[in-house]
This record gives sequence, C-alpha cells and structure tokens, in this order.
Amino acid sequence: MKILVTAKRVPDPEQKVKFKGNTLDQSGVNWQLNQFDEYAVESALRLTENASSGNARNGEVIVVSLGPKDVQQQLRSTLAMGADRAILVDASDENLDSEIVARTVQKLVEQERPDLVLLGKLAADSEANDVGQRLAGYLGWPQATFACSIEVTDGGKALLVGREVDAGVETKKVTLPAVVTVDLRIVAPQAVKNGVTAATHAYADGPRYASLKGIMAAKKKTIADSSLAALGVAATVRAKVASVDAPPARKAGVKVASVEELVQKLHNEAKVI
Amino acid sequence: MIDFTDEQKMAQRMLRTWAEKELVPLVPAMERGDVLPYDAMRHLIRSFGIDEMARATFAKATPGGDTNAGGERGFFGGDPALSAIVAIELSRVCPGFALAFGASLGLAGGAILAKGTAAQKKRFALPILTGEKIGAWAMTEPGAGSDAFRSMRTIARRSGDGYILNGQKTFITNAPFADVLVIYAKLAEPGQSENERPIHAFIVEKGAPGLSLSKPMEKMGMHSSPTGEIFLSDVCVAKSALLGETETLPARDRAREVFHGERTGMVPMCFGVIDRCLELSVAYAKERQTWGKQIGEYQLVQEKLARMYMHRENVRNLLFKQLEKAHKKVTISAAEASASKLYCARVATECALEAVQIFGGNGYMREFTVEMMARDAKLFQIGGGTDEIQITAIARQLLSE
Repeated sequence: MKILVTAKRVPDPEQKVKFKGNTLDQSGVNWQLNQFDEYAVESALRLTENASSGNARNGEVIVVSLGPKDVQQQLRSTLAMGADRAILVDASDENLDSEIVARTVQKLVEQERPDLVLLGKLAADSEANDVGQRLAGYLGWPQATFACSIEVTDGGKALLVGREVDAGVETKKVTLPAVVTVDLRIVAPQAVKNGVTAATHAYADGPRYASLKGIMAAKKKTIADSSLAALGVAATVRAKVASVDAPPARKAGVKVASVEELVQKLHNEAKVI
Repeated sequence: MIDFTDEQKMAQRMLRTWAEKELVPLVPAMERGDVLPYDAMRHLIRSFGIDEMARATFAKATPGGDTNAGGERGFFGGDPALSAIVAIELSRVCPGFALAFGASLGLAGGAILAKGTAAQKKRFALPILTGEKIGAWAMTEPGAGSDAFRSMRTIARRSGDGYILNGQKTFITNAPFADVLVIYAKLAEPGQSENERPIHAFIVEKGAPGLSLSKPMEKMGMHSSPTGEIFLSDVCVAKSALLGETETLPARDRAREVFHGERTGMVPMCFGVIDRCLELSVAYAKERQTWGKQIGEYQLVQEKLARMYMHRENVRNLLFKQLEKAHKKVTISAAEASASKLYCARVATECALEAVQIFGGNGYMREFTVEMMARDAKLFQIGGGTDEIQITAIARQLLSE
C-alpha cells in the first residue's frame, strides 16, 4: 500500500502564547509536529509493515508538508520514525488557508497516486479541521474522518474505519483510494490492523520513538522540494484571519462578610440562585 | 565540535520526550526503592532500538573471526556523542537511573566489549546491551577505594584450567540484581609479593556457587540506582571467565582505561544535572514573588543564576572538547581527565545546592527535584575517584613532566 501523509508544524502547545497587536507573535516559538499528524504517520507505518516479522516494510509512506525550509526538521523526524521519503512545498504560514493546502495535497496525490491519504483530524494551532474533508471533495474520493481504528479488508481493496461517536463506535467501510483523518485513539496498541501483521500483535501505546538506527537512516532519505507555482496551485488566500486576541484576564473576586451577603450576591448580582 | 549534529539533536529531542513521558512518572517510586530501574531501562533500550542495533552488529561479526567486529561499535553504534546525550538526558531527570544504566551498559558491557574475546562479547556483552541481562562492574573493596589496585584483597588462585575466587567487593552499582558481574582480582602466583601480583578481570554469573550478593545499601543519594556488596567464597570459574582469556596483558592498565572512561563518563552526567538545575531555577526565579517582585529581580539570586550559567557553559565546553578528542581518536591525558572530572563534579554539587537555595523551603522538599539533584550530585565528587585523588593525579603528572 502506498500512503501519503500530511504533516504540519505547530507551536509547542506547552509554550506561553505571545501577542503582537491582533496577531500572534511567533518569534521564539518552539515548533513541533502537530500531534494528530504524528498519529497519522504512526498509523501509516503500522499499515505498511509486518510487525510480526521485524517490522519488514510492505508499502511506502510519503510525508508531505507546506511551510518554510525549517519544516525539514519535523519532516526529518517522521523519516526517522520510518517514513520512506518526504516532500516539502515551500510556503509561509501566513499565506496559506485550508483551500490552498487541500488543493496542494490534491496536486501531490495526482502526482504520486497513493492508495490512501492519511491526515491528522486537525492542526493543534488553528483547529480548522477541514483540509481532509476538502481534499476528499476535490479528489472525488470516499472519506472517513476522526478514525479511532483502521482495518484493511476485502484483500486490501477497502478499509473498515472506526469512529467514536456519541452513541458508541461507528464503523465505515471506504473503498480505496480514500482519505482518512485520524483521532488520538488510532495509536492505541491494537487500533490498526493491516492483515499482514498478526491480528494479536499489540504495539506500545502512542506513536513510536525514532530509533537511533532510524535517526541515522533518515539522514540518507530524500526530502524533495516543491512549490505552489511548480504544482500549479493558485496562491490566493481567501480565508483571512480578522484578529487573534487573548482571552480577557479574569477579574479579581470579592470577599463576603457573611453567608447572608453571599446568598444575596449570588441571587442579585450573579443571578445564579 | 562545538555543538551536536542535526541527527544527534534529533536523538536528544527523542530521549528528552521519552524521559519526560516514561521516566518522570516513575522517579518518586524509584527513589523510594519501590520500583527497580530495570524495566524502564529495558523500555528505553527497546524504544530506541539499542537492542536491535547491538544484535545487527553482532550478526555481522563472523564467529571466531575478527574480535573487533561487534566490539565498541555495539554500544550506540560507537558514537561517543550519543552515549553523552543519553547520559545528559537521563541525568536531567534522574541521575540515579543514569548511573544504573551507565554501570550496566557502559561499565560492565563496555569492559567486556573492549577486552573480551569474541565468544565473551557474544555471550555476556550482547545480552547486557539488549537489556536481557543486567551488568555490574566491581573494583572497589571495603579496604580498597581510591587505592583500589594497591589494597585489593580479592584473590584468584589457579585451579586446574580455571581459577578460584575469594574476596569481597562493595559500593557496586547494580550488584544486588546483576546477572553478569565483571570482578577484578589479583592473581596469586607462588613466590610473588602482594604488590607484584597482576590484576585480572573475571566474568561471574549470578547463581555461581560461592557467590552472594547483598541487599541494596542505603545511601545519601542516587536512590534509583541499587548499590550492593559482592561476597566471593571459593567461586570456581573456568578459564573462559577470564576477561580476554589471556594472562599476558595485566588488567591493571585495562582497568586504568576503564577508570579513565568512568571519569570522562561523568562529565555529561554533571552537565545534565547542572542544565536541569539551571532550567528549574530560572523558571522558579520568574515565578516566585517576594514583596511584590519576582525573586529573579534581586541581585543575590541573579548572582547565583549567573554562576550556574557560567559553570554550565564551562562544563559544556569540556564535554565538547572531550567528544572532539574521542571523535579524532586523540587520547586524553590522565591529568586532563582528572581535571575535567574534578571541575565538573564540584560545580555540579555547587549548582544543585544553589538551586536548593533559590527554591528556599520548597527546595528542601522532595517534590521539587532539586533536593534529589543536590544529594545525587555529591556522588560525582566521590565515585570514580574522589576530588582529592583527582588532584593528586593532576599534580603527579604536572610534577613528572
């Protein structure tokens, strides 16, 4: 199986956000791979290896990203995890919207002809959650979003995709080629079954650590450069961010002298009783 | 080199993630002695494919052929920078864990890889590198610490083709739970004075008749690292247990090399401790307020932070100098190794104690990590040769030149 995985770099969610007027100040940001994209890479690797036989590969995983040259660092780490090669489409984050990203991935899909496109369900910074859906629409491919499990079925011609919904787990069957976006439980020990690895195999919970050997091997793997112009994607940003503001600071509380005063304030001021 | 390569930095990021995710939650239980460090060691070895790497290197070595194949390269692919990164990242979170890991793979595994025969490497070093077995390296005795060679009482007597070992070792990291022990002993030849007796290393396995291992000893620090005593009472070993299987090269020089390794190996551990203490102290200086001001605004606190930073930079420079020399295969002189260890150990203790001071009452509490760092750092001034012994070694070289 040939799988295309998207990867976006996002600011470290643990780091304090800085503002510059009505925009984010991204100087000094620690960039890291969007966690849902890391889960997508992990799922792609689980789909294309035989974990019962020394993780022998039986497919290809190509990781694509849009961003500045520095994104090579995040792409290199996916190669160290085991992905086969990467493509970096030169772009600056401010000049992108979901449509441009989805159109770019569409062009790459047409070039690479994968059997499956795996994406994180959303990027942790913008939380737009629409590239996967748009991409499936543009390609005219079936889609399954928020996957919590994936099982290869029909002799590799289709996937059974589990989705956690309010009532329980819904299972969708999608014929390949397809677009699947993944949720966090996709990296549970037995969430991905590829029909090659023994069904009883249990992975360690979570995305794998790049092994020391993997890190050395990643040095020799290719990251191909591309650009919106080379792919023929119109770079007009249509979704514009009006402003980004910090949540209002919490006001200081007041001390009350008695229970009566508390009840009176809850009733008359807070109007909760 | 003045910095790690991109690949080494990636390994460092992965190790930091591992340590924060997998090790940090275990530290309180390991420090209390409720949990042993070995399962986490195995998890680390598996997660980063250290086992797979060792197996692949050994698979390439032809049996009975080149004894160097599967040699030092088996340990982190022979990259000293990678070993340093592992020591730094583990020491940042739990120096005791780093010690237990280093004593098994680095000291015991390293000694066998460096001097063992091909068969010994495969039989004893490989399972240590894959985490299947735990190693211990035993030199110190109740009456022989800094004067380990001269005062060593553990004796090997010839018996048929093999040897009979008698004696006692103490302060041995991993000894209570070790599967493979590298034990140094003097070979007793008739008509030799005690000082002329050559020192050799023997590989003894857990369960050997006459071998007993103590319970973990109670220590000031490094609680995550079990330390114990070894008692040898007529332990019979075959010739194949003699490290290198030859008596022609006395182990005195080989053990010195390991001492050397022990000294240079402490530098990244010291760096890890200082780096973490500085990071925690800066964060605390920005967070803690007295009289409406962050304590970092007071010059007395600033002086401490600046000194810690200065020490960290110095230790970093010493580390990279050491790595550059190892990379270029230039030997570090005894005085250089001693001076480096002496400086790093002293400033690691100073920085950790200053971190406790910056944290004040909180710093004295176990919860805030710097308390553990201060107790752990003190070992660096004692283990691997005390500060005083390092000073003597430096002076000896200076005055003999």
